[in-house]
Amino acid sequence: MGAETNHEKANKPWKLSLDSWAVVLAFLAALLVRTGIFKHIPW
Amino acid sequence: MADVITVPQVQPVQPALRYLRLIPGILLLFAIGYAGKLLEQNVGAYAKAHHWTFPNIEYVLWAILLGLVISNTVGVPEVFRSGVATYEFWLKAGIVLLGARFLLGDILKLGGVSLALVAIEITGSIAFMTFLGRAFKLKPKLTSLLAVGSAVCGVSAIIATKGAIEADDEDSSFSIAAILALGAFALFTFPVIGHFLHLSDKAYGLWAGLGVDNTAEATAAGALYSDAAGKLAVLVKSTRNAMIGFVVLAYAIYWASKGKAQAVGNKAAFLWQKFPKFVLGFLLISVLATYRFFSKDQVGALANLSRWAFLLTFAGVGLRTNFQEMRKQGLGPFAVGAIGEVVIAGFTLGLVYGASKLFGW
Repeated sequence: MGAETNHEKANKPWKLSLDSWAVVLAFLAALLVRTGIFKHIPW
Repeated sequence: MADVITVPQVQPVQPALRYLRLIPGILLLFAIGYAGKLLEQNVGAYAKAHHWTFPNIEYVLWAILLGLVISNTVGVPEVFRSGVATYEFWLKAGIVLLGARFLLGDILKLGGVSLALVAIEITGSIAFMTFLGRAFKLKPKLTSLLAVGSAVCGVSAIIATKGAIEADDEDSSFSIAAILALGAFALFTFPVIGHFLHLSDKAYGLWAGLGVDNTAEATAAGALYSDAAGKLAVLVKSTRNAMIGFVVLAYAIYWASKGKAQAVGNKAAFLWQKFPKFVLGFLLISVLATYRFFSKDQVGALANLSRWAFLLTFAGVGLRTNFQEMRKQGLGPFAVGAIGEVVIAGFTLGLVYGASKLFGW
């Protein structure tokens, strides 16, 4: 049983929290701006 | 035999479908936010052209008002709900991007002052809300949830504490409703009081960050006053948010010591799990900005991206606020929350006033 539980744990998909996804998205956007892919963001 | 037994199977929702379901609500957030932006630009110009005296209403307020009207008249149809709920996600992404507009030195300077004020605010708020909850004979765990919600960071703190102290669903919905109703009230009263008292942007931003509980409402209350006040409100509110793990841990240990919640095993892991990661993202991006990783134009572009993210957030704040739903939650917790919030708002205003005299703001 214990082995099964460990196996299940190992197969459990790794999940990011909402907070972490927001950080990932913000850094991705910052990277796109930094590399010049997004040159001008209007407001 | 096995062939004749039918086991009901739960069909898992495809991840792609789950994300597709968010689109209508996100589009609604964008439409309302953008309508608020257009109203800001056009109503003022129209009033000026017709020589009317009309106050300049910012897009923040238009977006919240439009959302409030929809939510409290026709309601938000089911198809939009999951997408509308993403407004917290946009808020956090917006806060991280806003970090580009802060230099690390400013954060350390302002963060140091706000950290001291936040520590006083948290201690005072918890003590006062606990006293009020006992005076009104509320259930002890409900009192804990209200105390954490008003001391630290509104809804996220209540949800984090609910799990840690094993509180009832009913208690947490009472507390969330009270904190949200009072947050909506603060949105409209804080800027009026700030203008009435002629508070500087710095003093007002500090006050909004300390006195308004939910991060979305604190950001909106700050932005309603001025851009500079909005920036500072976010910084102070993020400092408060950073304390969430410590406060929740303290409550978890307290309730476990009474045998009414599970003991906390690894305290460091618990703190990391509860720590709001967007605060780290905010700090990291401001470190990059400080060391000129971004050019001036790029910082401007990131600031605009952050404004777009906040635009969706403010529309969500309005859409999420339904006064009828809040009324259903009962008067007791709301009364405790309301009295507590008024006292905390007065107390934090006093703190800010003292700090502004001390530091000459």
